[in-house]
Amino acid sequence: MAHVVLKDLVKTYGSFKAVNEVSLTVNDGEFVALVGPSGCGKTTTLNLIAGLIPITSGDIVIGDQVVNDLDPKDRDIAMVFQNYALYPQKSVYMNLAFPLQMRRLPKAEIDKKVREAARVLDMTQLLERKPRELSGGQQQRVALGRALVRDPAVFLMDEPLSNLDAKLRVQMRSEIKRFHQDLKATIVYVTHDQLEAVTMADRMAVMNGGYLQQYDSPAQVFAHPANMFVASFVGSPAMSLIPLEASTANGDTVLKSAEGWSLGLSQLNARKAQRATGRKVVLGARHSTIKLHKSAVPGAIPAKAYTVEPTGDVTFVQALLSGAIVNISVSPNIAVKPDEQIWLEFDQERMHLFDGETEMALEAA
Amino acid sequence: MLRKIWEHRADYAYVLPAIAVMLVVIAYPIYYTIDLSFFNTPPGLQLRDKTFVGFNNYTTILTSAVFWKVTWNTLIWTVGSTVISFVLGFAAALALHRDFFGRGVLRAILIIPWVISAVAASYIWKWIYHSDFGIIGAVLVGLGLADRPPNFIDSVSTVLPSLIVVNIWREFPFAMIMMMAGLQTVPDQLLRAAKVDGANAWQRFWHVTFPHLSNVSTVTILLLAVANFNSFIIPWIMTGGGPSNASHIWITHIYELAFGRQRWGVASAYSVLLFIILMTLGYFYVRALSGNDRRDEGA
Amino acid sequence: MSTIAETSRRGQAHRRMRIDGWRWGGRIFLVFMLLYTALPMAWMLITSIKSGFAAMQFPPQWWPDQPTLASYQKLLDPQNSVGQDFLRFFWNSLYVSAATTVLSVIVAVPAAYAFSRFTFPGRNFLFFTVLLRNMFPAVIFLVPLFILMRAIGLVNTHGSLVLTYLTFGLPLAIWLLKGFYDNIPVQLEQAARIDGATRFQAFILIVMPLSTPGIIATAIYSFIGAWNEYIYAYTFLSKNEQLTLPVGIQRFFSENTTDFPGLMAASFMMSVPVVVLFLVLQRYFVRALTEGAVKH
Repeated sequence: MAHVVLKDLVKTYGSFKAVNEVSLTVNDGEFVALVGPSGCGKTTTLNLIAGLIPITSGDIVIGDQVVNDLDPKDRDIAMVFQNYALYPQKSVYMNLAFPLQMRRLPKAEIDKKVREAARVLDMTQLLERKPRELSGGQQQRVALGRALVRDPAVFLMDEPLSNLDAKLRVQMRSEIKRFHQDLKATIVYVTHDQLEAVTMADRMAVMNGGYLQQYDSPAQVFAHPANMFVASFVGSPAMSLIPLEASTANGDTVLKSAEGWSLGLSQLNARKAQRATGRKVVLGARHSTIKLHKSAVPGAIPAKAYTVEPTGDVTFVQALLSGAIVNISVSPNIAVKPDEQIWLEFDQERMHLFDGETEMALEAA
Repeated sequence: MLRKIWEHRADYAYVLPAIAVMLVVIAYPIYYTIDLSFFNTPPGLQLRDKTFVGFNNYTTILTSAVFWKVTWNTLIWTVGSTVISFVLGFAAALALHRDFFGRGVLRAILIIPWVISAVAASYIWKWIYHSDFGIIGAVLVGLGLADRPPNFIDSVSTVLPSLIVVNIWREFPFAMIMMMAGLQTVPDQLLRAAKVDGANAWQRFWHVTFPHLSNVSTVTILLLAVANFNSFIIPWIMTGGGPSNASHIWITHIYELAFGRQRWGVASAYSVLLFIILMTLGYFYVRALSGNDRRDEGA
Repeated sequence: MSTIAETSRRGQAHRRMRIDGWRWGGRIFLVFMLLYTALPMAWMLITSIKSGFAAMQFPPQWWPDQPTLASYQKLLDPQNSVGQDFLRFFWNSLYVSAATTVLSVIVAVPAAYAFSRFTFPGRNFLFFTVLLRNMFPAVIFLVPLFILMRAIGLVNTHGSLVLTYLTFGLPLAIWLLKGFYDNIPVQLEQAARIDGATRFQAFILIVMPLSTPGIIATAIYSFIGAWNEYIYAYTFLSKNEQLTLPVGIQRFFSENTTDFPGLMAASFMMSVPVVVLFLVLQRYFVRALTEGAVKH
């Protein structure tokens, strides 16, 4: 196993910058997820690490070697593709054997390794089948096996679960996690599904528009999103973002809404709000940090329920507030009807404030 | 730009053989033809003796009566063959689309004329049209429709349509194959949706199937048109352009000018005119094909 | 309730009648097309087993009174001068067509692959230049090519034909194969390259086997095109022992124009190889057209 370092990595297509000065380090044995919406540059980044496309500038280090100009085959990596990319004309056995044949291993050793990989992944009985005779989950497993059999320095995975149905996806998620723990493998994993990243990765790199937005552990990214994009991308339902204006009178800082109400701030939050470049401040709050009241309470903001979605153990209420949609989760025994007048109380400890101009998180000095 | 070409130098290795062959056999002849069209050449291709005559060859062509006669023939030949071949081929593809007993055999039989050589086809039909012992004539006489067997390809008025029938015989299968391939790509869901929306068979064809096939149809029609415009074998073998130029089309005429009467300069000038017409057609051809080429610019 | 059921039933009956109308129309049309296609071929076969005398009768014998294979015997008899010529023409055609086919595949496969996979400056321009070859009739190239072949000493050789046939087979071959390669996921090659293959190995070991149907289709197309070509062979070759079938047959029967049974037998035998080849491999061809030319 080895570590991977990306340094000021850039990939441009003509004038379009697909990957923009991305720098990050994947430690030996670490599981890192590259996550972001489609077109954010995450798959391009992975292909750059794999050497499938040439880099425009920057450096890629795998182990202790700069691999910028090396062929994929010389980078000691394995890759799992979204569509599995199993060789359709070859049997499962030959698919698993192919990377070893390419390295000119002796036949007996190839056979040993293939059978070992098949045993680990519990597919010994499938070895003679052709890929098209396998279910999606089985194909997925063969693809993993083909990566595993080589014992590479780094595993690259490109949305390996997105072609599976929901149930299988959850199952394979834990299998891949287990695989990582057992092998202590270095894994770079691309996904558009933040839930996969949060549940599986040691660290997640959130990308958008070719830029690395934040690179930290899922817990840190969740608790301290660096900017509005990360805040709204990570977590489900998404964090509610309410655009407001900070105003200070008599030493007290409040956030004013165009709807007329204003929200008082704790001392810490007031200091954060004062650091905004302009007056615009965006209030961010996750659904579980907002308290819903059916009658007026001091400090709570009046709002109107818009939709109500019971899911069984929790009910999600969406309310309109200052032109934004706010998600609130409530206990199912609180009955709320659409268009009902409600009052929302924000948790000062767990609310996020963002600069309305730069969209960056506001921190107290 | 140069750096880019240099970076991709390995990629060119793959296309180099194809390009090299094309250069020798296309670029050079085109240059040569244009050059020769401004010269008067003696018979026997003693090209040292050619003399420059400017646009003389072109004026000779455009003022000759034969030119307009041949152009008219070419137009009828090309449009007639193309339209009828396409309609018959498309209709056959539609009729063969639904599965029934013997479909595979029938399809195979219908394709055969396209595969056999135009030379063989010309002889077969020449025999069928034979003015004394031809089978069509015999059938017509037998049914009392004619007193004696008609002279299909020896008569000025019937020769061109008779040849077009032969050409269609060889060409409709191509349209049929193309359209059959196209029909397979019409999404079933769309047809079912149209059925649910209350469209009848004709409406489903007109509103779903046909629009879906517009791209294939364009390519097919263009390929047919180009092939027909460029036909040579059928008129050359069956009639040699006669009687009295009634079945001469551009290509046979050019051939006769060049290799029959050895008027290389005039023939070259004809070729250049042809070339200009084809470039115009080619523009549409390339546009239709690139409509078929929507692949993203990948790695 | 009953009225609804009744209207819907009537509607169904109405619709079924309509569909039947279309179906019957289709069947009648197919019968017509079958007659149009098959009768000339049948007449060729019937004529070929007549004697010369029996063919020249009016009204014709619909089925020969005394069927004979004499024409075929004559054409296939190596002792007889007609048979010697015919067999030599046949062999020449086979040789030229096979050489053209092999070369077409060798040249078209890498080119189509490159046009499908790589983006290099001038890619589109080159691709359409290649396709444009299809636009031009043989005649345009005839005079200059004749002079060119004379200059490089290829007149009256089969090499001149192979080289020329290559160029008119290539554009469609490249186009068909490119469509084929477009439909092979690029990830397969990427996987192979990561698994330790060079780009070339990935192409040979993974992509080539997957494109076999396309290659077969390309080969059939080149072979049939070369087998049936007439105009270049007619112009470039003048020595009798080098002629290919289409030209050979024409030379042959321009001398004795009335031997229609012989002509029909020769036409039949000239058609057999390509028809058999095509019928055996037609599913590849149709599939290549679907994947290569139509589906996008």
